[in-house]
Amino acid sequence: MAGIGHPFLYVWSTAQMTNQVSPVEEQEKLLEEALNIVKVQAFQMKRCLDKSKLMDALKHASTMLGELRTSLLSPKSYYELYMAITDELRHLELYLLEEFQKGRKVADLYELVQYAGNIVPRLYLLITVGLVYIKTNTNLRRDLLKDLVEMCRGVQHPLRGLFLRNYLLQCTRNVLPDTHEAPNENEGTVRDAVDFVLMNFAEMNKLWVRMQHQGHSRDKERRERERSELRILVGTNLVRLSQLESVTVEDYRRMVLPGILEQVVSCRDAIAQEYLMECIIQVFPDEFHLANLQPFLKSCAELQPGVNIKNIIIALIERLASYSQRNEGNMNLSVVLEDGQEQEVQLFEVFSDQVAAITQSRVDMPQEDMLSLQLALLKLAQRCHPDKLNYVDRVLAHTDKICADIHQSSGQSTLEHHTPVFKELMKIIKLPCDHYKNILVLIKLSNYAPLIRHLSYQGRVMIAVHLINDVLETNTAISTPQDVEAVLGLLDVLVKDQPDQPPSESDVEDFVEEQGLLARLIHHFKSDSADQQYLITSTARKILQGGGARRIQHTFPPLVFHAYRLAFVYKDLKDQDEMWEKKCQKIFQFCHQTITMLVKAELAELPLRLYLQGALAISEIGFANHETIAYEFLSQAFSLYEDEISDSKAQLAAITLIIATFEQINCFGAENAEPMRTQCALAASKLLKKPDQSRAVALCSHLFWKGTRDGRPVWALNDASRALDCLKKAARVAQQCMDGGVQAQLLAELLGRYALLRERGNQSLTPSLIDAIIQKIREELANLDQSEEVEQITKHFHNTLQHLKNRIESPDPESLGYEGLTLS
Amino acid sequence: MSFFGFGQTADIEIVFDDADKRKVAEVKTDDGKKEKLLLYYDGETVSGKVNVTLRKPGSKLEHQGIKVELIGQIELFYDRGNHHEFISLVKELARPGDLLQHTSYPFEFANVEKPYEVYTGSNVRLRYFLRATIVRRLTDITKEVDIAVHTLCSYPDVLNSIKMEVGIEDCLHIEFEYNKSKYHLKDVIVGKIYFLLVRIKIKHMEISIIKRETTGSGPNTFTENETVAKYEIMDGAPVRGESIPIRVFLAGYDLTPTMRDINNKFSVRYYLNLVLMDTEDRRYFKQQEVILWRKSDKSRLPLHPHHPQTVSYQGHQSLRKQSVSSDDNSARATPSNPDPENVMQRSVSPSMPEKQNGPLQMEREKPEAFIDKLAGAHINENDTNDTSDEIEEPKPVEKLPVVEKPLIAEKPQIAEKPTLNRPEPAGSPSQ
Repeated sequence: MAGIGHPFLYVWSTAQMTNQVSPVEEQEKLLEEALNIVKVQAFQMKRCLDKSKLMDALKHASTMLGELRTSLLSPKSYYELYMAITDELRHLELYLLEEFQKGRKVADLYELVQYAGNIVPRLYLLITVGLVYIKTNTNLRRDLLKDLVEMCRGVQHPLRGLFLRNYLLQCTRNVLPDTHEAPNENEGTVRDAVDFVLMNFAEMNKLWVRMQHQGHSRDKERRERERSELRILVGTNLVRLSQLESVTVEDYRRMVLPGILEQVVSCRDAIAQEYLMECIIQVFPDEFHLANLQPFLKSCAELQPGVNIKNIIIALIERLASYSQRNEGNMNLSVVLEDGQEQEVQLFEVFSDQVAAITQSRVDMPQEDMLSLQLALLKLAQRCHPDKLNYVDRVLAHTDKICADIHQSSGQSTLEHHTPVFKELMKIIKLPCDHYKNILVLIKLSNYAPLIRHLSYQGRVMIAVHLINDVLETNTAISTPQDVEAVLGLLDVLVKDQPDQPPSESDVEDFVEEQGLLARLIHHFKSDSADQQYLITSTARKILQGGGARRIQHTFPPLVFHAYRLAFVYKDLKDQDEMWEKKCQKIFQFCHQTITMLVKAELAELPLRLYLQGALAISEIGFANHETIAYEFLSQAFSLYEDEISDSKAQLAAITLIIATFEQINCFGAENAEPMRTQCALAASKLLKKPDQSRAVALCSHLFWKGTRDGRPVWALNDASRALDCLKKAARVAQQCMDGGVQAQLLAELLGRYALLRERGNQSLTPSLIDAIIQKIREELANLDQSEEVEQITKHFHNTLQHLKNRIESPDPESLGYEGLTLS
Repeated sequence: MSFFGFGQTADIEIVFDDADKRKVAEVKTDDGKKEKLLLYYDGETVSGKVNVTLRKPGSKLEHQGIKVELIGQIELFYDRGNHHEFISLVKELARPGDLLQHTSYPFEFANVEKPYEVYTGSNVRLRYFLRATIVRRLTDITKEVDIAVHTLCSYPDVLNSIKMEVGIEDCLHIEFEYNKSKYHLKDVIVGKIYFLLVRIKIKHMEISIIKRETTGSGPNTFTENETVAKYEIMDGAPVRGESIPIRVFLAGYDLTPTMRDINNKFSVRYYLNLVLMDTEDRRYFKQQEVILWRKSDKSRLPLHPHHPQTVSYQGHQSLRKQSVSSDDNSARATPSNPDPENVMQRSVSPSMPEKQNGPLQMEREKPEAFIDKLAGAHINENDTNDTSDEIEEPKPVEKLPVVEKPLIAEKPQIAEKPTLNRPEPAGSPSQ
């Protein structure tokens, strides 16, 4: 074989080689080769320029530019090559500029460079020379600009054309005419500049769009990526337009925007349309947008089906919304019309109409996008028209309609969790909440609550939690029954069972937490007016009672406490409100009903405590007939104890509470007190476990003896001996305990109670009795082995002894002392 | 007698009047070199002196008469011995006698008609020369000096543009437009191509200028095609509706006026060939004859070469009017410059130094060299089969190689169809 001399053989062998290098490496290699040529030619060009051999320099420039004719480079590599070459062209431009300014004009240079046989180098040279002509003689400006932008049509290859025109745009950026009145018509006006850039823009966009349709369809993804790398080249045209300072709003409306929109719409390419529309929004000033909403939005409706219109409109809305927010105070949304009159732009009206038109005309629009648009409108309404709540409501109504359509098409009645539509709707619902930070505003929006119902169960719960947290954070008071009704309407999902609720109790903890929040919210149902407060509370109960046992156990207690607090308020108002006693009665009746409902819901401990609390309140307030009612409450509590509480620990706790409550209540006469304390004592002695019995019976001593502390008068029903009986019985029961430790503990506790009651003035508890207990405890302790428990008991015991010792040494004059007690 | 080194002999020199002032023109000689000759126009008087210098002063030169002739002749290279003289004028300078000293004889050919332009082609040459002869008994002493002759045309009365729709059915339809059908040698071709239908993947498009020289007649006709210029006007693939501007400056190329049937011996015609190349290197082309003519540049003479810029720039403006034909003309009629010819001139070549003026010749050299370099820089590198004398030519259908497709002609022809449609050689996969 003759070697690689044969051309076909050579081609074959390079093909073999290229198979082995990766595309990236190949690109690097190609680029490096091209850059090397550029380097050499640029060097030669500069050397010729130094020697003033312009023609030779141009020849080298042309050879260098010939590298830009390649079809092998990726856009990225081509860009690098382009940068390197245009960088070198600057030398040529500067040289020519200097020569021209010195008056050394080169005749016919503009013609000479056009002899270049290849179009790409020719046009680069033409632009370079044209720029020098323009810079040295502004009279040429208008015509040269026209000529250059026209001649560039000769390059129809997308990549090469885009870069060529980009070069044109870069070169002319500082020489575009930017005045309305040119001193000389040949210099051109801003109109010419606009025409120039618009033309360049239209051509570049066409080239850019064309890239999409060339080549194999399997490369679609790569092509789209490459296109997006190049989009900035197209967008620069719009930037240039926006930099023309003498373009007025009027010019923009008449010349600039229609030109751009026409091109954008007619190119029928989704990628281009989306990018360019956003570009328009970003580069031009707010005032321009404001005055041209209609045409812009109308064009949006005409874009390709694949265009994400939502993003475009949202971007515009965001921009205008923040503009009007920036100018808050002196918000100038007015534009000057053709006839010179100023008119305020009804931002919301315009957007609302156009968005409606767009959603209607674009049947293919994803539903979540429709919702996103509503979200944007909502933002607009809130930020630009803070005083117009009906705008917000209108958006919500529209959203409601969209959701209804979604249900219709999906056949489901709510939006599923984690679907895009769900997320959008969530945002829409949360937005007013986060914006106003006031649930009272939300309930004024008649379409707000219906909207929540479109969410799935979980979504509704999330919103409810969000709303409540907001109220808690802002500490909003909900102060009319109507508001309460409306707020609870919003929170319907927490208030009562839902048809779409998950069947099994999925997460009790979450449920409890949610109900806890609701309960915290109920505390914010408050009014300064007592009568109003009553109405609020009863309204709330009316609504909440539908929630079932699982809920009312969380929601009723705050209501009951509201009611108790209200009763105290009436007590304070008794001088102003003659009816206060009646009202109090009514309140407690209400409480009684409420608690009874809890009882009916087969709850025991909670109503028991609420009854006791009620009894306490009643006795404090002391309105007419209060003793009977207090007795009723207490007896209800007691019967709950008897009927419903079976767990021994709970029994002990309950009886302790009952005894304590009774001890606190002073309103009972003997008629009511006697059965109460007998029953209690009886119940205490019937407790199952001995230690419980002992403790409860010991407590019962308080039923028969109350001290005079805190200035209370001596209780008429004090019965010293029965108190002593209780304590004795307790001691007896304690001694029946098998475990010595428990015995010691109980006795130690008992010692404390002895001391307490004696100090409260019960003389029946003599020092000798106390001494007997002490001796007994010592005996027991001595028999015990050391253990942590025993240590604790010992410590308790010694503390009590210490107390006694202190009292013996320095007796309290107001209470009984321990005369005769000796502590060894 | 001179063979033997004795006897008198003489040198003849022909000196032209106003030789120092007269313009010169570059003319190719038959060996391909260029030489500068004094330039005369039709009807101009050719006058001067014939100086006879005796080699041996003091001794006499015997002669049978001295004459000077002005000859215009056509030489066909395949018929070297046979020159066709279309002009032959003789002036007797001296009657037979003896010449004793250096003598100078003035001569004048008054208002000579010079119907043709000098031309040196590949098969033919047309030249004018003066021949001074000292007639002697054995060998005449002669001296020949060539002169250049340019034929000038007046501005054509009607400036028709060329507009044509051509195409290959269902494949490619274009409409092209050249602003004129007649261009002078320093003119600029302005035009555009409008793409009506594009179903092929075009790689690029170029315009070439083809010179077709036809010599002889009947069976002895020789045709020689030469691509004088190749000029890329489009890179990449256009889509339907695209219009591509054309602007070709002719001044930089080696062109002559169109010559038709010169003395029944030869013709030189020029064609603009619009060539589209697709990605598979198939060529689609359409040739269109244009008439080239030489325009008097006398109107320029009063202008200084470095004329104030404003005037020359005005030319640039009209040059940039892309619209061809009629409104192009109206645009040229700039009020500031009422002389239409002058404006025309500027529009073509705004501040071009006068090429034909002797003193400026040196300055021109560089740009010309540059043009050659630029023009030839790249365009050929892709066309490996492209040598300057090989051009595409519509051939009979059955012979057409697959890579070459002539674009068929104007709309009217499309109606009568289909003979010139896209050629489909047997076994071609081109569909």
